[in-house]
Amino acid sequence: MITPHRLSVKFYFEELTVDAETFIPVFHRWIRENVIPNELLLDVADYKHILDGPAILLVGHEADYVIDFTDGKPGLLYLRKRDLGDNLSHALGTTLSQALHGVKLTENDVELQGKLKLRTDGATIVLLDRLNYPNMASNGDGAGSADSAKVQLTESLAAIFGSDATLTRVDNDAREPLTFELHAPSAPDVDTLLNQIGSIS
Amino acid sequence: MSNIGWKDILTDEMPVELAHEIDIFEGQMELMGQGKLDEKVFAETRLRRGVYGQRYDNGQRHDGFESKELDFDDKDRIKGPDTLWHAPGMMRIKVPGGGLTPDQLDVLAQVADEYSGGVLHITTRQDIQLHFVHIEDTPDLMRRLASVGITTREACGNSVRNVTCCHLSGVCRTEVFDATPYSEAFAQFLLGHDDVQDFGRKFKPAFSGCESEACGLVMMHDMGYLAQIKEVDGKPKRGFKVFVGGGLGTVPHQAKVLSEFTPEEEMLPLVQAVARVFARLGEKRNRNRARIKFLVAKLGIEEFTRLVEEERKTLPHDDRWTAYLDTLPQYEEKPAKPPTFLNGQVRSDEFNQWFETNVYSQRQEGYSVVTVNLPLGDLTSQQTWELADIARKYVGDNVRATVEQNIVLRWVSDSDLPGLYESLKAIGLGDSGAGTIVDITACPGTDTCKLGIASSRGLAGELRTRLTAKSASLPDAIKDLKVKISGCFNSCGQHHVSDIGFFGNSRRSGNFKMPHFQVVLGGRWRDNAGSYGLAVGAVPSKTVPEVVDVITNRYIDERAKGETFQDWIGRIGKKEARGMIQPFMQLPDFEQEPDYFSDWGDPRVFSLGDIGIGECAGEVVSLFSMEISPAESEAFEAQIALDENDPKRADSLAYSSMLKAARALVRTQFLDVGDSDDRIVQEFKTRFFDTELFFDQYAKGKFGQYLLERHQNPNPNPDNDTAHRLIEEALLFIEATHACESKVGGNVLVEI
Repeated sequence: MITPHRLSVKFYFEELTVDAETFIPVFHRWIRENVIPNELLLDVADYKHILDGPAILLVGHEADYVIDFTDGKPGLLYLRKRDLGDNLSHALGTTLSQALHGVKLTENDVELQGKLKLRTDGATIVLLDRLNYPNMASNGDGAGSADSAKVQLTESLAAIFGSDATLTRVDNDAREPLTFELHAPSAPDVDTLLNQIGSIS
Repeated sequence: MSNIGWKDILTDEMPVELAHEIDIFEGQMELMGQGKLDEKVFAETRLRRGVYGQRYDNGQRHDGFESKELDFDDKDRIKGPDTLWHAPGMMRIKVPGGGLTPDQLDVLAQVADEYSGGVLHITTRQDIQLHFVHIEDTPDLMRRLASVGITTREACGNSVRNVTCCHLSGVCRTEVFDATPYSEAFAQFLLGHDDVQDFGRKFKPAFSGCESEACGLVMMHDMGYLAQIKEVDGKPKRGFKVFVGGGLGTVPHQAKVLSEFTPEEEMLPLVQAVARVFARLGEKRNRNRARIKFLVAKLGIEEFTRLVEEERKTLPHDDRWTAYLDTLPQYEEKPAKPPTFLNGQVRSDEFNQWFETNVYSQRQEGYSVVTVNLPLGDLTSQQTWELADIARKYVGDNVRATVEQNIVLRWVSDSDLPGLYESLKAIGLGDSGAGTIVDITACPGTDTCKLGIASSRGLAGELRTRLTAKSASLPDAIKDLKVKISGCFNSCGQHHVSDIGFFGNSRRSGNFKMPHFQVVLGGRWRDNAGSYGLAVGAVPSKTVPEVVDVITNRYIDERAKGETFQDWIGRIGKKEARGMIQPFMQLPDFEQEPDYFSDWGDPRVFSLGDIGIGECAGEVVSLFSMEISPAESEAFEAQIALDENDPKRADSLAYSSMLKAARALVRTQFLDVGDSDDRIVQEFKTRFFDTELFFDQYAKGKFGQYLLERHQNPNPNPDNDTAHRLIEEALLFIEATHACESKVGGNVLVEI
């Protein structure tokens, strides 16, 4: 299937004992130390004044890392903007892989260690591409691409997160992007997930 | 990728002309990529489409220790002088008078999350800005906006910027009449107008309905229109008191009266005459003195007025000057609901607090204007489409952005206010305090602006948090004070016209630089930005919250009954005012207070290393260069059409590109050539072909003949061969146009 214009994955915090502001110096250090291979990090944007939205953005050329509070659910959102790959599966692999690296980096950061934990047994996946993946009602025109995307994403995710992983399309407003919730009760830890992605890509 | 793009999907929804303009811009992007456009011409071209630069787009960033190169790929590719193609930029979206509909909000929300970081920012001139946008996404972004009637044309660059208008116009209790339809006609008339294409700097107009309120802030604008009614022959006549030459910036100027009363039918010709005088006599080389305020100051208002009046007499008649007057009687806003009254309903304390600051009772009984107080002017995509739904439910299309970076919902039926408040609160937009001391205005500053020195948004966020925390206990005397912050001296945060204003600068302490804010006291927001404040000294950024406390406490203690903040500052004088902040002007060493050496919300050791060359001023590019660039783009588009096996379109575009080139050349001598094909060709022939100015040394008149021939004998059924030939001819014609302009000297105004 067509590579979406943008693709995001959000992993949720199981524990978060620091406030959003704490991430600002951490993200600046990540830029200075160039901690993410193959990605160019550019700047940190502070939107913590917005209620229940993206709070702190680590803005990059290929991708953004966002401490995101949308719907009151704090998480680390990885938004892939460029170089997603040739098709939807490839885009998912790239995005998931980098998002999980981000999870690992966040949990192990010298200033954040022990102060937060991200869960890997669930995630929100968003296809930000209303042209190729319109968020149509399941019986409406254009719903086919959503159904097909779901099938393909489910297949890819099961290979990574385990055969009991399920993907549910979120019943959100048609103006919002096409969104799925991943539920993976037997998801292994981050390293194993990264290995799984490595072995299937 | 799919072969179907937004261009195909939205073809029937975009205004044809706007769609074509966007195609041309996309073509210019292609040409720039191929190195076929001059970098300055392209920079000004993209600015005039709202595609702006952003901090770090020169590929350098200071990390607190040293300046490092940002390793963008394809670093040779640029989008303007010292501006890398792949570096993210800002997209400014023009919103005339701040007027928005729910459908437009929906699309704005969608483009924000697909092309930006999912946050929309309202500016101090009722625009909307998206940040971190890649230039390659901009044509589709523009198309999606065009599909709901929004253009980004002339949002930046040396052009007529967004036409602002008081957000209360039409519902205000003190206005003379509703200035909205006039500001709309004005914006429409000037958009892309020939006479506003050759300015040395930007030109910002504003409309006000009343004199004593802040209203449209006409006194600080390049051109301001203040509604007036005058009795003429015993009948009331609508018109405007017209101001010119105001502006903030480094050196603020109060606007001067150009005309005590300009009747409505003269509103448009007057600005056209002003535009011509500004284009002809305004400074072009020294961008620091190129705004119209400098021209007015240099000539004096009497001489400037005389020149404008002389110019007015020479203007060729234009039906559009008065055509809009016929539509005025039909102009009306339709409330979504009938008027009702807020009577006997149970009100929570929270609601009452919000009601006190965020609700304005309209002159139309039973209706109110609700201000949605946006922190730092920001709202997310999700909030935006939720707000669109709230608007649909309560007010329909009656939504406007404000110059205080908020959004207002007009025509709220009063009994809906409690429900509306709950709806806004549910989406995180129920903050009270609109228009009060907690509702702080700030430009983007060092967050994203290339010119930013200090973090205006960081400071605004900090002050907002602190003041909100104690808002319940703030004395009434200071509750309504205005605090406005700019990241540098260029005044985008409008600090000159606030009670307490700040603009970013820096001072050295030992071997380090320390972020500072200059304190500006006593500016007047009311009376259309009636007077400018007094700069009293610079304090370290980190001391500003304390400085605000000291100033406001002293005002509370010392003010006489009924004495305004401005009057108090005037009474105590500059020396005393400076004395208040003096204790904060002692600079600690880095070792003593390392925290003072970083800015709000930015832990990096402070540096000026990230300041770049701003694009506010646009590029100084000749009118000819700007006008021939679309011709080149069309010739390029013609080649694509041929590749797509569409010879008819290729032929049409190739011909159109020759016309555009000829028009650009003719306008170096004759500005009023107009848009008619016949007229352009006739003028080209008379002025350049028959005089042999267009002739090549060897080819003689051959290239000019290409246009004359195609104009005389259009091909009703072009095939691939004939279209291909015409494209080749168009390319040669454009080259010859360049050569001719160089030879003749260009931009010589021999006739007006």
